[in-house]
Amino acid sequence: MSRRRAKSLPKGKDEDVRTMAGLFTAGIISLVVVISVILAPIPQVGPDEGNLAPDFIADSYNGASWSEYRLSDNYDWDWNGSSDSKWFLIYFMDTDCPYCWVEGDEMSQLHSQWSDRVNFLTIAAELSIPDHDSTRGEIEAFRDKTSYFGCNSDRDDCIDRPGTPNNWPYVDDRSMSIMKQWGLSGTPVSFILEPDGTVAWNKNKHQGQGGDGEELSAALQRLVGGQ
Amino acid sequence: MAVITAPLMIFVLGIVVSFYLLIRSRDSPGEEGTIGVLNASMGFSAVGIIGSGWTWAIHNSMLVGSSSMCATEGLVQCGSVIGDPQWNNLFGIPWGLIGIGSFAIIWFFVLSIRMDLHAKWSSNYVNLLYFVCLAGVPFVLWLVLVELTMVDGAPHICPYCTVIHIALLGMVASAFYLRQRKETGSWS
Repeated sequence: MSRRRAKSLPKGKDEDVRTMAGLFTAGIISLVVVISVILAPIPQVGPDEGNLAPDFIADSYNGASWSEYRLSDNYDWDWNGSSDSKWFLIYFMDTDCPYCWVEGDEMSQLHSQWSDRVNFLTIAAELSIPDHDSTRGEIEAFRDKTSYFGCNSDRDDCIDRPGTPNNWPYVDDRSMSIMKQWGLSGTPVSFILEPDGTVAWNKNKHQGQGGDGEELSAALQRLVGGQ
Repeated sequence: MAVITAPLMIFVLGIVVSFYLLIRSRDSPGEEGTIGVLNASMGFSAVGIIGSGWTWAIHNSMLVGSSSMCATEGLVQCGSVIGDPQWNNLFGIPWGLIGIGSFAIIWFFVLSIRMDLHAKWSSNYVNLLYFVCLAGVPFVLWLVLVELTMVDGAPHICPYCTVIHIALLGMVASAFYLRQRKETGSWS
């Protein structure tokens, strides 16, 4: 009787090589990450003061038509603190927000005072609150102070908004994507940016809990007026 | 800034060498062929990791102005793709960083198999490698769609991104051949 001899299959190594492979992989990845960061350091991006403001591309209304607007396209990346480059006032609002309605007058006054040194930009959001449904027509009417019934939680005609017609861009953020990117949940909120896009003043920090209570007008005077 | 740069040429060379190794080894019988396919896989994943690191560095430099690491004008450029704040990230994580993480997983599987061809777990790892690579394909298709139709001033073609996409497709092919070798008994 013949006995069949089993073909011997190659066996794996005695030690488990996966630990060594894992360590080697971690080493390679660490090296790549370190070299990438050396080549281009990671900038701090966010709404906090001292950080680079989160960039965005969205449609904006300039009084005649809607067109694409990118925040960083307007920065002066070479700003050294002494040039005549313009600062930025980013104002987050909702056409149906009663506080934003009331602040219309202050915004008009600030613009007449600072427009030669500050670029104004309004971000028109749509908060998830009843009667806060908005349309592009409503945003246009709020900006231009033209007749459109539906502003201020559907209580008023936009033509009655306090203040003068605003001649700066209004960005459509009814999708709330910019609000989310900036970590905001309510309006009105304003930010002052240096000409290179660094956040210089965040309303929530100064007027929130534990803040020093500094008002927007005082902040503009301190930051831009003192230049 | 010229479109064809030294780093791009190095990445392209890595891809070409990896494909050469893959084509030469895929039909070679036995262990020699398997090692050849695994070497090609290591080439593809190395290009994927280093290329992703490069695009992450471009991403970071573009956040603070224009980058000197890639072209920013024309059809073939990465400035409008990696520099687009709307599409250059997934839930806030830059695509370059996602690429480094994904190719790290692929590299780990390939290296483990390469270090011990006959381990008990090698069949499972070959299958896992294949499915991980396949899982990356929808992301590649999505990113190609984004750069051709959605980014600012589309269409654009980002050369570094394209190299990484090709590296992933090369990995899918390599993992397919490795799996085939296991199934047909030509592993060793």
